[in-house]
Amino acid sequence: MSRIASGSPTPTASASQVRIRLTAGSVDVQLPGDVGPILVSTALRRIQLSQLVNKLLDTEKPIPFEFLINGQFLRTSIDDFLSSRGISAETTLDVKYVRALIPPLHTTTFEHDDWVSSVDILSAASAEEKAIASGSYDGHLRIWSTSGNALATSPGVGEGGHANSIQATRWVSSTQLATSSSDRTLKIWNYDDTTLTPALELYGHTSSVDSVAVHGPSSRMLSASADGMLALWTTSKSDAPAAPAQLLPTAASNKRRKLSNSSRQVPQRGPLSMLSGHAQQASAVIFAPNDPTVAYSTSWDHSMKTWDLTTSACVDTRTTAQSLLTLCALPARNVLATGTSARHITLIDPRASATSFVAMTLRGHTNAVVALAASPEDDYSLVSGSHDGTCRIWDLRNTRASVASDGGGPVCESVYSFGRDGVQGSRVGGEGVKVFGVCWDADVGIVSCGEDKRVQINRSTP
Amino acid sequence: MAIPTLSRKRKLVTRKSPSLEEDLLVAAVPDGRLDGFSEEEDSNAEESVGESDLEDEDDEISGEELDSGDELDSDEIPSEDDDEDGIRKQLRNLKTSNGSNGDLVHTNGDRRRVRSTSPSLPSVSVERELERAGSPEDDSANYTIEKDANGNTRYVYRPIDPVYDSDDSDAPATTNTIGDIPLSFYEAYPHIGYDINGKRIMRPAKGEALDALLDSIDLPKGWTGLTDPATGKPLQLNREELEVLRKLTRNEAPGDGYDPYPDMVEWFTSKTEIMPLSAAPEPKRRFIPSKHEAKRVMKIVRAIREGRILPYKAPSEEEQEDLDVINYDLWANEAPRPDHPMNIPAPKLPPPGYAESYHPPPEYLPDQIEKQAWEDAEEEDRDKDFLPTDHTALRKVPGYARFIKDRFERCLDLYLAPRVRRSKLNIDPESLLPKLPSPDELRPFPTVCATQYVGHKGRVRTVSVSPCGRYLASGGDDGTVRVWALFTGRQVWSCKFSSDEAVNIVRWRPGRDALILTACAGDSVYFVVPLSLCDPNHEVASRAVLDDGFGYATTSSTTTPTTKPTSSKWTRPTQKLQDAGVLLQITLNAPPKSLSYHRRGDYFSTVSPASTSTAVSIHTLSKHLTQHPFRRLRGLAQTTSFHPSKALFFLATRQSVRVYDLQAQNLVKTLQPGAKWISSLDVHPLGDNLLLGSYDRRLLWHDLDLSLTPYKTLRYHSKAIRAVKFHPNSGAVPLFADCSDDGSVQIFHGKVVGDGMENATIVPLKVLKGHRVTAGLGVLDLDWHPKEPWCVSAGADGRCRLWC
Repeated sequence: MSRIASGSPTPTASASQVRIRLTAGSVDVQLPGDVGPILVSTALRRIQLSQLVNKLLDTEKPIPFEFLINGQFLRTSIDDFLSSRGISAETTLDVKYVRALIPPLHTTTFEHDDWVSSVDILSAASAEEKAIASGSYDGHLRIWSTSGNALATSPGVGEGGHANSIQATRWVSSTQLATSSSDRTLKIWNYDDTTLTPALELYGHTSSVDSVAVHGPSSRMLSASADGMLALWTTSKSDAPAAPAQLLPTAASNKRRKLSNSSRQVPQRGPLSMLSGHAQQASAVIFAPNDPTVAYSTSWDHSMKTWDLTTSACVDTRTTAQSLLTLCALPARNVLATGTSARHITLIDPRASATSFVAMTLRGHTNAVVALAASPEDDYSLVSGSHDGTCRIWDLRNTRASVASDGGGPVCESVYSFGRDGVQGSRVGGEGVKVFGVCWDADVGIVSCGEDKRVQINRSTP
Repeated sequence: MAIPTLSRKRKLVTRKSPSLEEDLLVAAVPDGRLDGFSEEEDSNAEESVGESDLEDEDDEISGEELDSGDELDSDEIPSEDDDEDGIRKQLRNLKTSNGSNGDLVHTNGDRRRVRSTSPSLPSVSVERELERAGSPEDDSANYTIEKDANGNTRYVYRPIDPVYDSDDSDAPATTNTIGDIPLSFYEAYPHIGYDINGKRIMRPAKGEALDALLDSIDLPKGWTGLTDPATGKPLQLNREELEVLRKLTRNEAPGDGYDPYPDMVEWFTSKTEIMPLSAAPEPKRRFIPSKHEAKRVMKIVRAIREGRILPYKAPSEEEQEDLDVINYDLWANEAPRPDHPMNIPAPKLPPPGYAESYHPPPEYLPDQIEKQAWEDAEEEDRDKDFLPTDHTALRKVPGYARFIKDRFERCLDLYLAPRVRRSKLNIDPESLLPKLPSPDELRPFPTVCATQYVGHKGRVRTVSVSPCGRYLASGGDDGTVRVWALFTGRQVWSCKFSSDEAVNIVRWRPGRDALILTACAGDSVYFVVPLSLCDPNHEVASRAVLDDGFGYATTSSTTTPTTKPTSSKWTRPTQKLQDAGVLLQITLNAPPKSLSYHRRGDYFSTVSPASTSTAVSIHTLSKHLTQHPFRRLRGLAQTTSFHPSKALFFLATRQSVRVYDLQAQNLVKTLQPGAKWISSLDVHPLGDNLLLGSYDRRLLWHDLDLSLTPYKTLRYHSKAIRAVKFHPNSGAVPLFADCSDDGSVQIFHGKVVGDGMENATIVPLKVLKGHRVTAGLGVLDLDWHPKEPWCVSAGADGRCRLWC
């Protein structure tokens, strides 16, 4: 057993010591050789342990590490950690160290003409040609390069564009995008690096379409609408059924909306199936991460439903106490994160066998949480965007004991929080700074958009 | 214990003196016989048998010793001397004639030395006597006579052989002769040891049982019942020892500090005492009556006889009354009361202290500075109303100048002091309050501002949340009606109705089948279908609702013979407005200030306070029909409301609320809220409770089944209350709210139990602050989300806020 004098600045002689066994969280920071248990002072904190591991690794540039004991982050001294969890200092602690999340710094901003409702990153493309799609309240879809150049803009209403604000944007493939709009339609766009051309107009919803989910391999698409319906679509023109006639715009309505006859005729198609069940507006829908025939949806009627797409039937309903506004899957944890109007994020275990379906509550936002994105790098992190004008990064291992006001269950606190660029402090009601969409890519970073008419990229540079 | 031992010997000697010769005669006989003999002789002797035995043995040689005890026992010995002289001679003869006997004597002397209990002095003298006795010839050879230098004879004594071991007076008295051997060793034998000659010392005979009984009956003197552990004989104590024991038991033994010879105190000395103690008898004169006194008594007797001295006669009552002093007895009529806590007896003056003394201790006397300060102070400010003064004698004390004033003040004190005890209530005020649930248990309720709706120029006068909960409509002083997406705060529709008149009311028509917004601007009521917001089905339904009446009006206008021509006109608005989605317009006599829908959405009522006779109108949307049911209205109508389930109609005038039955067309009851000017009214969705807000800051909860007066009056606002509203989904969200000109919205929990068996529970939950007070106006209107516990307020600062 090697004894390390430890990086602690003033290790008191009386401080007790504990034996720890360090294991690397990833291969690239593996300790050279078998170090074995190390005797360290229990007064050490994360920063000193990080220095210790860096010393052992003999790294040129110090890497900040986080330390996991029993799957929970060390946030206090080892002594406090052990005593608060009732762990004996006699045992050998298995300490896993992982690269610490680096606070994301603002890098780029893309200015828009109107509020930006949604943003998506083309994840399939290589790092050089990452493209960011943003949908705006002015009805235009825009494609940006990571350097901030506007690559393409969708045409206006007369040219086959959306007549009202875009609510959701998704890349289908590197050449296709899907958008949904409050003009009750979805559109499929063809993108050829310079221009966006509408490929399909999808009719079926009778109210604003607020959320779109895309499953690329099966070219299936799901949408959630404010009329409480979900719709299953296909992105291929040939497979799609015809659009329902009563929903197609008539000449009169075109005239009322001041639409001239579009110069080009866009093919109009209908849904493969409509899923009804939500009592109020459906807010979000996603495909199950490992099964494209299962979908999850949330609604303002406080419920989350599980759908079997092959039979178009609702399989399971989980009812919470708040309106659910957004949904995001964390496949490695087997949970769904959903943002609520009660200013927190609830992790829901969708499995039927789960005894308590609220697995964890993520608290910290001061206004409704309307956007969520899972981390591309590890299984524990996600980022959330809220109407309070901040995005918060969460690590599910960063838990604390719940207090009485939390209503029980484990509670997680955010790791980092960043606001809109150029906005100091918080604003009452998130006036002018509300975040509407957020997306996280390993190379680009965290892309968020909102009421400040900007798409903002925050990136943590190690 | 020297003295007792001596006396013991002495007694022994005196007793045995007649038998001494016998002893000497038997001296040669064996010890055993001697023992037995002496035992017989001394069976009832005072001393123990063994001891007397040894003494007897000694006696043969102790004649000299006894002789030499002259200086100690000068009383008795001389009488024996004569007898002993012969004995001594015999002894000398014996010893001189028989050398072996001399040895025996020496050994006996040793024995004597060993067992000697005598103090040192007698022992030494015995030695000398023994020596003298043992070697009488040495008497002459003890010294040599020489001549000294002057020729005088000089006795030169030989050095005395000190005979070591002779001075053994420190050795403990040994009372047995068997050595230091426990008696238990000889338990199996008839003897208890051996004497110095190797003869057995027989065990002392134990008395038979009868003897023991006799012993126990007449106890010998000094009998203890104990056995001497050293000898195994019964332990007997002599008189002195008993005396010591008696003193010990009676605790008469002197302690450590007892001084048996204290210094004499000379009570009677030659010194003259101031107060001498005298044993002299009382002088005779003290027993002889005084002639002088007799003379004086006779003088008085004579004076009495002659009438010169009159006996004392108590002054009569009349004499007292004759005095011209007026007495004001305050308590003359006061009957003595029994001791009772509620009755306070007249307070007593405190007893005088040192300071009041005519000759106070010096620490109570004021020094110069204190005196000056006392004199300079105002009379009321002085801590005491007199100055302590020192007088050497009571006769030198002058008259008390403040006496009258002091008495007067004392009377005032007595007269003015309260004489009845105040009863204090000892009740914890908290305990009187009813137990209300904690606000934390009543979540969810609105707590923070979630969204602000910015866009209106000037005050926002009214807000309304659409029945689907997605849209918010607001109208304000700028003459516009705006529709917002509720959650994001995005303005999705707007229309300007008037440039100079404010939009007073916006209300969504209830029902989710159609999306119709009603707005009152100026004299007109407009019906709006915001086309961009509703889907084709809703649009068709909404249009149908609004347009139905046109056909009805045209067909039935001719067939209605009944009422007076209505002053209201149902028309299409201008084309410009129609393009914006405004599809119907009603023009009234006066600007409507209040509008409320019936639950079904077909009827609605408006109040136009400016027009007196047609202030209250009830409109039928499907027939485009306007009625004015109250031709003569007492009081100024303020606001109206339909009952949610019954055909009742509530009409609030300034100070009362009238409840009408629409079917029977009569007044059901008149509520007396007690408010000066009612501003707003809302009926609980269950229909049994009514909420009133008033401009005089009162929030009144009426239970319609309970009474005509309010069940609860809440005054939490500092300024006028503008609007009150129950949550429409009060079953799941039992909340209500009011808004006030002080810029705050207050949220209350108001739980109503449907069966009417229980009163409503009202708990204040939250004060929502955020609206700026502009020109004395704060929050002008509020509305609830139809499902969620969210509320929207319209502020005079030009903004609406969503609270959730």
